[in-house]
Amino acid sequence: MFVLKDEQIGFILEDIRRNGIVTEALQQDLLDHICCVIETEMLDESNFEEFYRSILPRFFKRNLREIQEETTLLLTFKNYYAMKKILLISGAFSAITLLIGAFLKLLFLPGAGFLFVVAIISFSFLFLPLLSILRVREQKENKNKIIIGIATIFGVLICLATLFKVMHWPFANTMWMTSLAILFFVFLPVYFFTGIRSSETKTNTIISSILILTAGGLLFTLTNLKASRWTDESTYTSDDRLRVAAVFVSEQNQIAYTTDSISPRRKELQVKANSICSRIDQLKAGLIQFSSHGEQGLSEPQIIRNYGTSLNFATAFLFEQDGKAKPDLMAIKKELVEFNAFVEKQFSKNPSVLLDLNDVFRFGEKDQEVISWEQNNFDHLSVAVTLRNFNQLVLNIRLVEATCI
Amino acid sequence: MYSSELIKGTLKTIILKLLSVNDKLYGYEITQMVKELTGGKIQLTEGALYPTLHALEAQGILSTEVVNVGNRIRKYYSITQTGKKVANDKVDEFSEFIGTMMDLLDLKPKLV
Repeated sequence: MFVLKDEQIGFILEDIRRNGIVTEALQQDLLDHICCVIETEMLDESNFEEFYRSILPRFFKRNLREIQEETTLLLTFKNYYAMKKILLISGAFSAITLLIGAFLKLLFLPGAGFLFVVAIISFSFLFLPLLSILRVREQKENKNKIIIGIATIFGVLICLATLFKVMHWPFANTMWMTSLAILFFVFLPVYFFTGIRSSETKTNTIISSILILTAGGLLFTLTNLKASRWTDESTYTSDDRLRVAAVFVSEQNQIAYTTDSISPRRKELQVKANSICSRIDQLKAGLIQFSSHGEQGLSEPQIIRNYGTSLNFATAFLFEQDGKAKPDLMAIKKELVEFNAFVEKQFSKNPSVLLDLNDVFRFGEKDQEVISWEQNNFDHLSVAVTLRNFNQLVLNIRLVEATCI
Repeated sequence: MYSSELIKGTLKTIILKLLSVNDKLYGYEITQMVKELTGGKIQLTEGALYPTLHALEAQGILSTEVVNVGNRIRKYYSITQTGKKVANDKVDEFSEFIGTMMDLLDLKPKLV
């Protein structure tokens, strides 16, 4: 037995590095091992390089790099069992928390929102990624790894989109549509065309694809979920009652005007009230036309039934992009202020008789904030509620008018 | 010589048992010891040995000591306290497994 020289050891080390062994500890292990083999088995020192080349294939099946790859794999997943434990705990935690949250929501109890957030965050950012990592590791083929990766992205997105929808946070619909687009246009084609090629997986792939397509279709139908027929009916009834009441009080007022001798101040009251109510009717007609999606001749009840829940139309019709009310609405407010001043001067100083046009406190995004009368009554409200609030306003004007007569 | 499939499942048990009865061993020594003890029937491949040694070290089951041997470095592996318990568990599990396999494959020594 002889001892290898420094340059021979250097040669082996360099060759090991060149063959893809990058971890220093592994380089040292293999260097010592190869040196031991050579020092024990080599008979003729002059054939060092040739002998080295002949024993090297003992260390691998394809190439030396596979020792590095196997080591890296084992070291990367040294926390495999911890990951598996966290996977199970986070999965069970998310499921139970979500169920309790849903239960609380069903019973209108507090804490539902918090539990939803905790459950879906832990599901999307712990359970799904861990599951994906562990499943990818089990797969040998790259195509399967890609499918798992896409499925994970879809899963995380659809969970977050659901959370955002339930919590009424912005971008919920964008996330929802993006995740469905990933499902239909990326995941499903990749999954289908990968699985169908092999005769072993063909049937299962077709069945699974149908199930995925159906489930995705069901989710898609939930995209633009409207209020139930009963909710629509309640909103409509509320609006209708106010409208009828306003017409009734208005008619009573007209009778009162005709039976009494009209004084100049009453005449002026009648003119002012009619003027505002006429302006409001014009604005309502404009809003109905604007919200009718191009359909002609729709009545107020039809608009409420068909497009009442739309949040964008009323705001877009009554407010500018920068959030300020449009001139038509402000003109009504100006007349209402004048009407109040007139009533106060001519008939009653009692504030309860007057229309309430003050700014109000409301819990907004920045805690309590002061918002104007027009924002409070018309900004970011559905078409149905906006129309209802206009009718309420007309009724209030007619009631003030009735009190004064 | 046994197939690599058979050896693969027992590699950890073999390494841990050897290190629990020897104070410290280096990689080459482990392969030689296994070869000698089994009469050459089990030959550990380096491609399986070193990744396993490094993983066991990362898990705190083995500890290492670096010694300069002539003009190169040699890494000695020894078993930790945690590792000794793991070694016992592995050996017990394997012993039970052999018993089960003997029952399953009807390999019990027959009384003459």
